[in-house]
This record gives sequence, structure tokens and C-alpha cells, in this order.
Amino acid sequence: MAAAGRGDAGADPASNPGTVAVCFCESTPLLWRAGDVRTARQTGVVGTLMGSLARQPRQNCRLGRPLELLREEARLLADAGRAVLLSSSRPKSTGAANPELVKQHQEQMDQSYSEQSQLAQQDKKAVLLRVMADKKQGSNQSDQALQERLLALDHGFTFPRTAMAVQLSTARAGMSYGPEELRFLAADSLSPRDERQEARYRVFRDLRRRGFYLTTGGKFGGDYLVYPGDPLRFHAHFIAICLPMDEALSLCDLLALSRLGANVKKTVLLCSPGAEPEEVLYTSLQWSGMV
Amino acid sequence: MAESNTSVSCSSDNFYSELLSPSELFAARSRSHKIPARGQKEFLPDGSARQRERLQQSLEEHWSLISEERVERLGALVKGEWIPSKNVVVLKSPAGKFWQTMGFSEHGKQLLLPEEALYLMECGSVQVFLHDLPLSIQEGYEMFLSKDTVNLQQYQVRHAAERRECRGALPLRLVPHKAAVSSLKVFSHLKRLGYVVSRFDRSTVPSHYERQLNLPPERDGHGRQLKRKRSRSPSSQLPDGQGGVAGESLEMRGGETKSQRANPEDGAAGLSEPEAERMVEDVPVPSGVPERRWWVEGGADLPQSPTRPRHRGWVWETITLPDLGAHRCQPALAAPDPSLLPGRLSVGVCAMEPWLRRLNLRPERLSRRERERERSRYRRDVNDDREVRHCRSWAEYHELRRRRRNRHGRRNRPEHLWEGKVTPLLQPGQHTTAGDVLDKIGVVGASRLLDGAAGLEDSEGWKISFDVFQPDTVAEFKKSSPGKPYSRLCVCSFEGPVPDLRVLKQLAFQSGDVPVTFAVVDHGDISFYCFKDFQLPTDTSH
Repeated sequence: MAAAGRGDAGADPASNPGTVAVCFCESTPLLWRAGDVRTARQTGVVGTLMGSLARQPRQNCRLGRPLELLREEARLLADAGRAVLLSSSRPKSTGAANPELVKQHQEQMDQSYSEQSQLAQQDKKAVLLRVMADKKQGSNQSDQALQERLLALDHGFTFPRTAMAVQLSTARAGMSYGPEELRFLAADSLSPRDERQEARYRVFRDLRRRGFYLTTGGKFGGDYLVYPGDPLRFHAHFIAICLPMDEALSLCDLLALSRLGANVKKTVLLCSPGAEPEEVLYTSLQWSGMV
Repeated sequence: MAESNTSVSCSSDNFYSELLSPSELFAARSRSHKIPARGQKEFLPDGSARQRERLQQSLEEHWSLISEERVERLGALVKGEWIPSKNVVVLKSPAGKFWQTMGFSEHGKQLLLPEEALYLMECGSVQVFLHDLPLSIQEGYEMFLSKDTVNLQQYQVRHAAERRECRGALPLRLVPHKAAVSSLKVFSHLKRLGYVVSRFDRSTVPSHYERQLNLPPERDGHGRQLKRKRSRSPSSQLPDGQGGVAGESLEMRGGETKSQRANPEDGAAGLSEPEAERMVEDVPVPSGVPERRWWVEGGADLPQSPTRPRHRGWVWETITLPDLGAHRCQPALAAPDPSLLPGRLSVGVCAMEPWLRRLNLRPERLSRRERERERSRYRRDVNDDREVRHCRSWAEYHELRRRRRNRHGRRNRPEHLWEGKVTPLLQPGQHTTAGDVLDKIGVVGASRLLDGAAGLEDSEGWKISFDVFQPDTVAEFKKSSPGKPYSRLCVCSFEGPVPDLRVLKQLAFQSGDVPVTFAVVDHGDISFYCFKDFQLPTDTSH
């Protein structure tokens, strides 16, 4: 099943409750377990949900797991030691069924079935008893009928197999065939590829350290949306655009950005990492008239 | 309310354990299906207890929603099995309502494409097994979308290649894998809204000519139409001597048999015609001579996408239509292939004599004026003209031309106007509408999106992924004849380049008359853009 990773992956999620398992699906970092999503949010990483919501899958307003992370978010978690990066390759197609696992699964299903049928029987009995209790003042015939039904329930209750409830797990349940290789990736697999990505990461880290929450800003024409508090309750204040320090920005672009900011009532923030390792410089744009 | 994160699975690695106990599963039957509405957001955090409380409440609600696991009745689940070698899910129990718009049949089995299977798994309609153990959604994502598998892009590319091999055309470019997750996001997004989304298949786009012909939609073997036997479309090799004539002779486009004009009026090529005819009709083809049939047979190895009906079977390049009026026509037409005929009908060789008698084969007798016109219509070498040969200098030649012009009565073109460097734009009476005049003085001509698009090669990384049909057509939607889609989608991301004109033209051409929409994916936000053709209005009163 799940192979062991390298020895330095000591942050085994099972043992250390503060770490999350970031699973890569084709170079996109995803969080699958609900506990991981919660832990990540506590460290300030918000992410975007991209799956269907279990309760109502056919709508787009509220989505469910998996939670997709930005590269910067995954890197932040990894650098802080709060994440284990995993990447799995698919099992070989020539693999055969493992009879032991299949038997285990069958046993689980059978046990679940028997428990559920007992519960169903008890549930039905409880309903009948409640009806009887309500009808205490009722006539004798109905009482007798109910008694008969109770007896019948004891003897001839059937719970069809098709009525059994079955769980469709979201995250890997550990029941099926694990991938051939569950690789633990090094943190530097997330390192930036070019200057712009490095700028983005530094800005992200700095804003995060100042206590802001960040999400993607693609629909506002920027890199990040900056919230003063949790995005669930507050509106974004800034649109952050990350640029390397010496990159030239044409006037047309500046005008477009400030127009955009004025229209959506958010302040545009031009962010550049400075010369010092932890220094990030911010410039805000405001469109104002001549006084 | 069923909660998760309770029991620990009994397997050795309790790495992942969000299993529900049977009592929780049972209690999940009475779960609510409503989603609580989100309240108004606030502007500024002021550290008050009220805000903290509201935040906690929202967060708790959020956690309870996303940690809910899917619980379904076993009888309501359709069982499926993942086949890694073919990257499809085979349904082991009969499909439910989703079969109307998703999935395809092959060899009597019901199959689902990976993205459809993932969506149905998330909806809780299908449970997919691999080697008798159920897959979770995470495993589904990892297996169906992994780098090692043939994902969405490659699946299409491979099948497009096989189709193109028969027509002997373009080189192949594989698209990088990264976009499978984005494609899945777009697919799920639209499916959740109710659209019918299917993979784009280039072979089903009718060409401009086919659209002009406005052919009735073919029925797919149901009903009274005789089932034509279908064979593999012909390969591109031909026996020597046939290549030239056969290749030229089979241009159906343009609606005329230009083919026969290509046959010169000497005997050699004329003889090759009956041979070409025989080639087409020969039923038992000897090995070594490739089959040439202009109908396409189905079979297990039909190189078309399995999700599309096999009704685009005409291979236009191989149809010959004999020209009976040609100078040397063959005395008889060979008998048609018995496999094309219904029942036990057998038709013999067709004698041409009675038909030729009905044609008017008398030589044409033209009047003198018509003959002159014929002669002057085709291009003649100026040196053939006797009078021109008599001229000994350029001046004499100019004089000759002037004389001829005057003789032919071109008096309405006075020399002082028409012989200079600057000539009038129009002749009086030639163009009468303002629109015509504006056309003549226009410097920049109008251009449409599809101008020059026919010859473009495929662009790197840009391809149409899906056909989208509107939700209100779901009731009458038939997979076998879906009709014209509402739009076609090309998936890209904000990090990539903006499509340039070349890409736009190429995709618009590929898509035929259906507009192409670009679905731009950015970590969960999907924006849809489309480019519209636009004509500047011309200011004429007509």
C-alpha cells in the first residue's frame, strides 16, 4: 500500500495533527481532508474550493473539497513545516485484485449492513411505540392492530440490501489500492521558476505576516485580493499586483489598473520585493481629480 | 447530523480516515439538503466580540458543510469499473437518468469518459471500482487525470491522428498535459449549471460545402434504411498509373466533375478511366491492390471517436463520375458492388449504347461570329497575329493598336482621358449605386474572420476541447444526433498568452459556423470570452 517516503518526512500527518497533506494532482496542489482545510485556514491559508458540494452537487455558489492552493500558499505551508507534499503515480494497469483487501471490504460492508438493518428495525419499532403512546386514549381495536404490527416487526422484518447506506469517500479512505509510489516531495519542488514568481512569493509572505488574508485576484486583474480579515466575513480592500523592482510599467497599464480599482472600489497596490531579504515595498494608486 | 473524522480505519495506515460508522450512515438519511444563505459581509474588522462571534458562526457552518461526506443508498448507485488501459469507466449496472446526455456505447457495453465519471462520482450517482474495491474521489482525480494516463488532450489528439491518416494530411502536435485539471474545472462548472458538455470531435464538423448542400441528417441504422456495409477508408497508395487520374478525378467539391476535363483528349488517359471504374467496383480485391471504396465501413477499428455516430462516411476523394459525353467513352459501365444493393437484387453490366443515343452527340456548328468569339476568348499569343508581325517598331505597334481600338468603336473612351497616367475611376453607366462607387475608392477592404483561415496549421497549445449545448435542450437531446452546439470551448488560463489573430482564425475555421468561446481559468474563477466578427457600417443610402 502506501510506500514509505524518505526518512526526513518526519512530519507524518497521522502523528502530527498540525500538519496538512498537500497532494499534487498534475502539478496542482490540493487539500482533500476536511481537517487539513481547517488547519490550513487557521494558519491563514484560504485557498479555493473546486469540487462539488456533497449536500448539493448541482450548483456553483458553494463548492466543496478538494481545496486548491496557490503555489505560494503550498510553499508557505511547506516552509513553515506545516505541510507534507505528496505526489502519487497511478497504480500499474496490470495490477490484479488483492483478495485480502477485497475480503476486508466485503466484511466491512456486511457488518455495516447488519448494523444498519438492526437500526432500521429499532427505528420502526420506536415509531410504532410512539404512535401507540399517542393513542393511549384510543379504542382497543387500533391498539390491538398496532400490537400485531409490533409483533410482526419482531419476526418478519426485512431490510433489503439495496436500502443500505454507503459512503462515497472524498479523500482517500485507505481502502483501495494505494498508488505504487507515494512520493514525498522536497519543498524546493515548489521553488519559483522566474523572477516574477519569486516576487509573488515574497509579497505573499510579507502580506501574510502582516495579518492579511489573500486569495486570487484574477477576476480583478491583479495577482491577489487582500482582505483585512477572514474572506468569509469581510470584503477585500486591496488588489495586489506583484512586480519585480526594476520592471518598467507603461503608463497605459497604470491607467488601466487605476481605472479598474476605482470602478470596483478597491485600492490598487503595486508590490515589489526590495533589496533586503524581508523587505517589500508597496505603492497604492488612487484616481483623484484636480483640485 | 452526521459528522466525520471520527472512526479510524482498520488498515495499517490511518493516514486518511474520514469513514463514517454504520450508525452515522444510517442517520445520514435524515440530513437536510438545504444550504444556509451567507449573510452580508462587513467592511472593516473592529475587533468587537459581535464580529468575532459572527465569524465563528460562519466558519462553523462552513466546516460542517465541507466536511460532510456523500452517503447514498446502495440501490440508487450505478456500479462502474475503471479500465486503466482504455481510460474509460465501464458501467456494470444499467445507467440512470444521466445516460440521456452522457456516456457512450461500445460493443454492447455502456462506457463513461473520465471527466463524466468524475462528475457523476461527485454527484453521488455512480460508484467506480477498480479491481473490486471502491475508489474515492481523490483517487478518481489522481487516476483519471494523472500525467501517465492519456488525458483529455491526448485522447482527442490520438483519435484525430488516426482519422487524419486516412486522409493523409497534417503533422501532429501533442499538447502539454497541464491543462487537464483546468479542463475538468470548466467541464464540472458547466455541468453543474445544467449544460450538456461533450468532447469536441473534429470529424463531425460539416465543411462549408456540406453545409451549403444542406444534407438531411442521416439516420443511424434505425428503421427502414438499408444498412450499408462499411469498410475502412482507403489508404493513400494506389497502383501506378492510376494515381494521377484517380486523384484528380475525385474532386467532388465545386459540384462539377472537373475530373473529366483533366482527362486530355488523347487516348491514354481515356483508357485509364474504365480501369478506375473497375477499381471502384471490384469486390474481391486481390491482396496488394488496395481497396478503394467510397463508403466507409464500420468495424472495431474504425478510426473515429467512439462517442460520435458513424455517419460521416463519405470519402469524397474517391468518387468517380463517368463523363459519357467525352470523346472516348467506354462501351459499358461495370456492374455495381452487390453489397450496395438491397436484398438479392443483382444488376449486370450497363450498356452505354442506348444512353448515348439519347445524348446529343452531334458536333456543334457555330456561326462565324460565335467562332470568332470563341477564338478571341481564349488567350492567344500576341505574336500569332499577322498584323503584329508586320510591325517593325514599337511606334508601328502602338499605331496598330490605336487603329484597332478606333475600329472597334471604343469611341466612348476618349484618349485624353483614358490614355494618361491618371484615368477616370468609372465609366458613365458602369456603376450606378453609391455602394459600388465606395467599393472602388475603398483603400482597406473589409475582412472577415474566416478569410484565409482554411490553410492554417494547428497552433501550438490552442485547441477546442468541448461542445456545449444549452440546458433547455436537455429534454430532446439525443446523443446520436446532438445537433449544432450552442458554442465550442477552448480552455486557457490567465497565465498564458492572449490568443492572437492566427489562433482565432484557425479555431473559428475548425469550429465551422459555431462560435468559439474561450474559458479562462484562474484558480477557481472561470471567465468566458468570445470574439465576434464586426463589420464597420458603410454610409450609403441604398
